[in-house]
Amino acid sequence: MKPIPLNRGRRKSRWLTAGLSSASLSLAALTPIAQPDLTEVPIEALVQMQITTVARKAEKLSQSPAAVSVITQDDIRRSGATSIPEALRLAPGLDVARLDSSDWAISARGFNDVFANKLLVLQDGRSIYTPLFSGVFWDVQGAMMEDIDRIEVIRGPGAALWGANAVNGVINIISKSAKETQGTLITAGGGTEERGFAGIRYGDKLGDHAFFRVYGTYFNRDDSALADGQDANDSWQLGRWGFRVDWDVSDQNLLTLQGDAYRGAINQVFGAFDTNAPGFTRTDHDEFDPRGGNVLGRWTHTVSADSDLRLQLYYDRTERDTSIFKEKRDTFDADFQHRFPLGERQDLVWGTGFRLTSDKVGNTPTVSLNPDSRTTDLFSAFLQDEINLVPERLRFTAGSKLEHNDYTGWEIQPSGRVLWTPQDRHTLWASVSRAVRTPSRAEDDIILTSAVPTGLPFPFPPVAVATIYGNRQFDSEKLLAYEIGYRVQPHPKLSFDLAAFYNDYDDLRSLEQGPSPTQPAAPGVIPIHPENKLYGETYGAEAAATFEVTRWWRLQPAYTYLQMQLHKRPGSTDTTSELDEGKSPHHQFSLRSAMDLPHDLSLEGTVRYVDSLPALGIGSYLELNVRLGWRPTKNLELAIVGQNLLDSRHPEFSPSFINTQRTEVERGVYGKLSWKF
Amino acid sequence: MNPESFRGWSMKLVIWSFLFPLLVLTGGQAELAEESLPSEYQLKAAYLFNFAKFVEWPPEAFPEPTAPFTIGILGEDPFDEDLERTVKGKAVAGRRLVIRHVKALAELKSCHIVFISRSESRKTGRWREIFKALGAACALTVSEADGFVEAGGMINFVTEGTRVRFQINDPAARRAGLKISSKLLNLAKKEEP
Repeated sequence: MKPIPLNRGRRKSRWLTAGLSSASLSLAALTPIAQPDLTEVPIEALVQMQITTVARKAEKLSQSPAAVSVITQDDIRRSGATSIPEALRLAPGLDVARLDSSDWAISARGFNDVFANKLLVLQDGRSIYTPLFSGVFWDVQGAMMEDIDRIEVIRGPGAALWGANAVNGVINIISKSAKETQGTLITAGGGTEERGFAGIRYGDKLGDHAFFRVYGTYFNRDDSALADGQDANDSWQLGRWGFRVDWDVSDQNLLTLQGDAYRGAINQVFGAFDTNAPGFTRTDHDEFDPRGGNVLGRWTHTVSADSDLRLQLYYDRTERDTSIFKEKRDTFDADFQHRFPLGERQDLVWGTGFRLTSDKVGNTPTVSLNPDSRTTDLFSAFLQDEINLVPERLRFTAGSKLEHNDYTGWEIQPSGRVLWTPQDRHTLWASVSRAVRTPSRAEDDIILTSAVPTGLPFPFPPVAVATIYGNRQFDSEKLLAYEIGYRVQPHPKLSFDLAAFYNDYDDLRSLEQGPSPTQPAAPGVIPIHPENKLYGETYGAEAAATFEVTRWWRLQPAYTYLQMQLHKRPGSTDTTSELDEGKSPHHQFSLRSAMDLPHDLSLEGTVRYVDSLPALGIGSYLELNVRLGWRPTKNLELAIVGQNLLDSRHPEFSPSFINTQRTEVERGVYGKLSWKF
Repeated sequence: MNPESFRGWSMKLVIWSFLFPLLVLTGGQAELAEESLPSEYQLKAAYLFNFAKFVEWPPEAFPEPTAPFTIGILGEDPFDEDLERTVKGKAVAGRRLVIRHVKALAELKSCHIVFISRSESRKTGRWREIFKALGAACALTVSEADGFVEAGGMINFVTEGTRVRFQINDPAARRAGLKISSKLLNLAKKEEP
């Protein structure tokens, strides 16, 4: 591990304060800029006039009784983010840590890990978390970034509507309709870490009422670095292509059909369990080719302005073939939803869903699943009633999801929320909700073996073999969450969004010593198995503000505070899980600045501070991303982007469970061209 | 460049990225005022003023000769205060301009221009309710959503990159007794072939 100078965090935070105080200084110096009277301008000139895009209004969120934020296409473009995880750094309250070139640990409100399992992630209504470990393989997720309309991030439980796994948050990636992506778009670029990337999209009409687009993208990302600066041999290439068709069959019926496919080439260094290797650990320089695809159809029927029906079906396939683990998975999902008003003051939404997922695993001595193939299904139904107690002022929302899964049977996840708008620019909300995280396939059936050095002298063996066995008696993890929030717009140019929470968890996963009650242990190994002998509390707060300093300059500071306290039940033999407290930062701070400058230039900068992760031996860090864009015509944009500029390299997270190298994120610079016609 | 000097350089960049606007604001205000661009809704407010100028309403659209010219906003007001500021103290054909935030569809008939905000356009079937409520009233319907003119709306704003254009459905306007000047028609975005 690279030693971290003690004064580093302090020195940097001084600079941060300097940056902040200059921002507040300019607040004091702020005077309204005289605008020419546009009614005096001839209309012919109005047609040619350019507008600023910084001040474009975001979707109105003030009416939502939950901690919600939205990352818009404009935010993504201005940030220079080239992947969905990097774009997620723009959402206040999310903890996004890059593990290596292709992997991230992403969570909200604690429990972050490479195998973080309390966040539900959806892309255009399709779940992209894997039931294998209830988390996301971020290395195969993506989109043509320009075709993303927005990313909605809900912190806190969303289980009443979305169902299990929506424990600490929901991320919803929503792409533009085909109607909004007409014409040709070509993007290309490259640099030091983003070695090369390109994308092409073409959209056109199919008759009077139907639109389509097709796209293809490719990127090649450089290896990250080891602590000593050597290449980590983890480069990441991926190609993705897809289509979308939107057909307005009539005023009341909309059909959407979309699909994507991808194929990657990922380098990774694994420590594989091998009894023939010295120390029982073999180093594999693996190159694997993950591949997959999906096709989704959605029918939306509008009955009236307040009532609609939606039916959605999708099929998804993923294949992963590494030297230590192989998996093929097919998922079929059907989802129905109906919204309608009940009387004058109530809005009802109800729905049902069915999901079937089937896997086939190629077992290796390092990772295997027993049985090696399993099919599970999930039935769910939900009902939510939104009651306007006082129109425009006081709203109560109650709802619950009821679902049946093959692991734990029935689960009920209710929630109650109240939204109070005492004045037009003030909104207060509060909620109490229950959510569960159902067991994953791995927690039921895994056999994960690694060699652990004993440190004992001869004649004792130098290494011991430890194996984690799945436990079919493992139960769901439960959460009771209490949240409050306040949104206020004291001035048309200034808004604040504050949220605080207290989460009470029970039956969290612990790793107990001894054989699993449902899997026989191999002779000579130290058996470990999951049980539910951990409980804990987390609490914290998130604050975000948007300040439109001028028509052409916007500042967005955000701060996140988190405390995690985990405890073992009496009788637990777990020695590691309590340390998870130290894998999520106590403090995170970011400041984004976006400017539209004269001569068609735009300049964006983001500084972010992340507190230390003591359980992983990772120090606090401050990083800076800067993007300079030039749009000489409305069809062409050139940009130069600097990422992680403040350090030549820095670590953000460490591997867990699977033996891969700890790597560091390197400073990077790239250029990009976007051409529309 | 060695890492230390790069770090020093990037620190300067941080400071400058915050100081630069400060300098511009305090030192170069006069210069900037000419350069500063209007926002999307300032421009749209100016357009609405011009629509009032370049469209002819029949006399029966006004209950009395001195009646004001009313611009109604239906749905969430995206203009903030830009529309009020734009038309404040202005008159068209001798008529004072007033802004009205329309709460009920029945109020639409007293408006001369009806601006239908995006919040309304998201509800499918809503346009039809609005057109039905307007009936044969002499009101110019303006919106900013795809498909608005195709659905029977009269003028629709289209944002093209950093410019705002508009489409016109002249037959719909004529049916309501409105005469759109040829100047406006010529500037409108033509149907794509």
